[in-house]
Amino acid sequence: MNNLIQTAAAREKLFIALYKSTFPSVAGYVSKMGGTFDAAKDIFQDALVIYYEKAISSDLVINSNEKAYLLGISKHLWLRKFKGDMLNTSLDGIDVTLDIEEQPSESKLLHFLETAGKKCMELLRSFYYDQVPLADAANLFGFSGVRSATVQKYKCLEKVRETIKERSLTYEDFLN
Amino acid sequence: MRTSLIETEQIEAHLLQLSNPGDALVFEAKLLLDDELSDKLYWQKSAYNMVKQYSRNQLKKEIEAVHQTLFRETAHKSFSEKIRQIFSKR
Repeated sequence: MNNLIQTAAAREKLFIALYKSTFPSVAGYVSKMGGTFDAAKDIFQDALVIYYEKAISSDLVINSNEKAYLLGISKHLWLRKFKGDMLNTSLDGIDVTLDIEEQPSESKLLHFLETAGKKCMELLRSFYYDQVPLADAANLFGFSGVRSATVQKYKCLEKVRETIKERSLTYEDFLN
Repeated sequence: MRTSLIETEQIEAHLLQLSNPGDALVFEAKLLLDDELSDKLYWQKSAYNMVKQYSRNQLKKEIEAVHQTLFRETAHKSFSEKIRQIFSKR
């Protein structure tokens, strides 16, 4: 859908605009509720992640009322934080699951993939997370066409799959 | 595409529920017979989770960079002042 938000530069522009339009209201709300600047910041940043994930998935079109939507998520996150409720809750069908802690072995793995397999991870991010259409991704990553981009996608997926398998088994050995 | 990549594609179709009912049935039968394939399926599922976790972390870094820009650069001073005032009133 929204090609505008699928490159880093476009996202930066979007986040700046959303910060300017909505963060003052979120800060006002959190302050009124007795929260700090850092609490407002954490909540708003999580709300932006949720907003982004919804905006790129096809099941929801966020229209002109994005400010109300973001403010709603932020208030919901604040109330949940305030109540100390770390369970997954839902807001109008939106799963709010950002608090799930990574397992220690998972964060080690993630760190490894970030450093050793950055290029593949970026490619996979653009396919599966940012949901950039194949033709655009091919262009973005400098492939000759959709076909070679597809081949590279599966090669990367295999590489990540095998790395996770190897590493997970190694970490298990450490624990035993 | 080489055979292993085709298999990876089939695992993906199964996990993301993209295959038609006939293909899905054939794949499920294969899974029952082929331990290696089940193993790959298991780890591929982890791979998607890992990609999601990675992507979220990267996105959070992008958002934090925007935050730093807005609260450190003089070009956005009136905005950052406005926010600081909200918290200084209390």
